[in-house]
Amino acid sequence: MLLPTPPREWSLASRLAWRMSLLMFGAIALAAAAVAWGSISTLQDLDDAGLQQQVHIVAANLPPQDTPFALPPAITKPFQDSDGDNVFIVYGPDRARLATSDAAQAAEAEIFLPRSFRQGFFRIPVLAGHKHGMVGFALPVGRRWVIVLQGREQSSVITASLMSSFMAGAVWLLMPIGFAAMMVSVLTLRRGLRPILRVSATAATVGAQPGVRLPLAGLPREVTPLVEAVNEALTRLEQIIATQRRFMAEAAHGLRTPLAVLTARLDSLQAPQAEALRRDADRMARLVSQLLSMARLESLPLTVTCQVDLREAAVEAITTLAPIAVQRGIELALLGPESPMPIQGNHDALVLALTNLIENALNHAPRGTAVEVIGSVPATISVRDAGPGIPPAEIPRLLQPFQRGAATVQGGAGLGLAIVSRIAAAHAGTINAKTGPEGGCVFTLTFPVPAI
Amino acid sequence: MRLLVIEDERELAGLIRAAMEQAGFTADHAATALAAASYLGATSYDAAILDLGLPDSDGFLLLRQLRRRNTTLPVLILTARDAPEDRVTGLDSGADDYLIKPFHMPELIARIRALLRRPNAALGIRLVLGNLVLDTVSRQTLIAGAKTHLTLRETTMLELLLRDQGRVVFREVLENRLYSFDSELGSNALEVLIHRLRRRLQESGASLTIHTVRGIGYLLSESS
Repeated sequence: MLLPTPPREWSLASRLAWRMSLLMFGAIALAAAAVAWGSISTLQDLDDAGLQQQVHIVAANLPPQDTPFALPPAITKPFQDSDGDNVFIVYGPDRARLATSDAAQAAEAEIFLPRSFRQGFFRIPVLAGHKHGMVGFALPVGRRWVIVLQGREQSSVITASLMSSFMAGAVWLLMPIGFAAMMVSVLTLRRGLRPILRVSATAATVGAQPGVRLPLAGLPREVTPLVEAVNEALTRLEQIIATQRRFMAEAAHGLRTPLAVLTARLDSLQAPQAEALRRDADRMARLVSQLLSMARLESLPLTVTCQVDLREAAVEAITTLAPIAVQRGIELALLGPESPMPIQGNHDALVLALTNLIENALNHAPRGTAVEVIGSVPATISVRDAGPGIPPAEIPRLLQPFQRGAATVQGGAGLGLAIVSRIAAAHAGTINAKTGPEGGCVFTLTFPVPAI
Repeated sequence: MRLLVIEDERELAGLIRAAMEQAGFTADHAATALAAASYLGATSYDAAILDLGLPDSDGFLLLRQLRRRNTTLPVLILTARDAPEDRVTGLDSGADDYLIKPFHMPELIARIRALLRRPNAALGIRLVLGNLVLDTVSRQTLIAGAKTHLTLRETTMLELLLRDQGRVVFREVLENRLYSFDSELGSNALEVLIHRLRRRLQESGASLTIHTVRGIGYLLSESS
């Protein structure tokens, strides 16, 4: 019925926070990439246009000769001023260099130039002083070729500076927005889930009294199906328990009424055998009573959430059994502190458990001895008799239903101690049996102490 | 002393009636809640024995109706149910005592007598156990027919124990009834008083014993 528990508990809020931050970083990275991509291609377009323009300026000013020449400074100067970033070279038909803005650069770049020129762009991967390579444009002018080379740094430097200014802006702008968004979601989640804490508090009281339903008010739509389903389950459980209770009540009535008639009839009988018959009827009545107690403990939940006084339960059990003890010539005593011994539990069940323990002791104690009920702080209660005691090996067996010790008196059904054991377990307590210091048997019930 | 036995199980009701009449009571029998209501309206009873499982109504309902009419009629509930919730409901709705079936007739008679001995019960001037008779009005104690002198406190103690004969009377109850708030109460004053009362009873040949339930109280019963 129980769902397998997940390996680790996780928090919706922290999961949301994590995902939100991941999303935010992703968004910033994506925006940065888009900006970078955009600026690079724009710059490239600009550069490409500039390159062609430069080629055409050089081409337009070529002198007609096929021998080396010098171009006017108006054209050469800007190239030379570019500090090696921009270079032009003019080749003759036999690929002899006719003119250049920078002979050294030209010589170095020459080996990387395409073997045969074709009009258009080309690339030079690496070159001293240009670790990003260069872009070139070749333009035929008659049988000659005008080549213009441009370093790639320009665009990457611009891109880098653009990127850094964008990142600065984006981080200062996007980060707070992202952080705010994250906080808002986490807080919304927290607030939205707060009614669930209230529902949990109500759920913790289920069982104390019937009719408790989890409140739906203020719950987010996402969790109402769960809460409604739980409420329906509670209704079904209560119906089952009510049916079970009714059955138990009817069984009790059905079994006890004929026994009551039998007992009453025997009580009015004066015959010599009447006493023996009365004992038989009592034995049967006791068995029925214990069977009903056992069945109730097995089939119905025991509410153990009330504040009860263990000492008071002991007093009630002793008071009930005192007349029987007097009849059998056994002294009954309550020892230990006179202050209350508060625990969480079920008063009637505790009285039943102690009644069974004391009855058991009375059954084994010889006439003239004492049965002592001893309370000890914080929540332990023992019942000690001066009977023959029990062999340690028999103890675990005795706590099982229908098991009877070797010293069992006539009439025991073997259910009493099993009932005690169930009641102790329902209270998260323990039952322990041992031989007392002066012989006899000591049964000890120990209950968990309520947290203060 | 007139009792009403409200019990649907006819055989059991017959046996109870017979036993009650043998014990000196007059007893009527009602098999349903309706019959019981009309009996209770027609004449006055000194106590009622009420079975919870009636065919036409729950015994609790009848009891609650009765208590709403503000009657102090002592009611002893007789029931086959012993679930904790039934016990709580029974005492909440104003039952004076509770006996679970099956029960022994002498026990039922003793409980009814105890209800009738209650201070608010109309009669019960003479408290009797064994060969002892205590007149609660004249404060006279007779043991085996002979007048016995007891102190005021001893008589009160005896009366308290007699009213709840066969049952444990708590120390606290005795202390509260025997000593006023301002009187200096020694830690063993009660023990001393009990000791004295025991000696007097023994000297006078009373056939009763005061048993000690250590840590809880005392119980008075006929000597076995």
